[in-house]
Amino acid sequence: MQLAKVVGSVVSTHKSEQLTGLKLMLLEKMDAGTATLKKDYVIAIDSVEAGPGDVVFYVTGSSARMTDTTRNKPSDATIIAIVDSIDKDDKYVYQRGKES
Amino acid sequence: MMMAKVVGTVIPNQIAAGVLTGGKWLLVERCDQSGKGKGEFHIALDIVDAGPGELVLVCQGSTARQTHQTTDQPLDALIVAIIDLIDQEDVTVYKK
Repeated sequence: MQLAKVVGSVVSTHKSEQLTGLKLMLLEKMDAGTATLKKDYVIAIDSVEAGPGDVVFYVTGSSARMTDTTRNKPSDATIIAIVDSIDKDDKYVYQRGKES
Repeated sequence: MMMAKVVGTVIPNQIAAGVLTGGKWLLVERCDQSGKGKGEFHIALDIVDAGPGELVLVCQGSTARQTHQTTDQPLDALIVAIIDLIDQEDVTVYKK
């Protein structure tokens, strides 16, 4: 699972009918050890009602089709959790609502 | 399988429907056979009760769904073993 921040959403009207009703989010990848942004972007399907500013983790590859939202859907990146906090070596590197 | 060191924990507050609840999500840093970190971090689900500082084996991709606990779960990184010892050319390069 990779860490990322939701920085926007993606709208598509002409798409596979199996993608109908799914939310496409624009994610900026983060370094999970420092919670810093990497200027590398990926589009993922949302299964947890994540919104802009949320730090999330997402699964890639065939695992992205294993949530109830994305089963048998053409997704190779799916957000599976919104992150509350990350600690590394007993120090918080990220706490929700306490970003500097 | 990737060798990694457990360096922290990740606490989710909301998780996708269908994902194992009560699982422990750990922050792991990829490392070499002597346990030296490479600065590449991953979030992995733990099924072997690994603790901070331990060297673990992480399987990635669809293989992460091959255990009894994780069948059909949306997971792409899973801690499947805690490493006790690594021998390289008859020299012990890592010992827990």
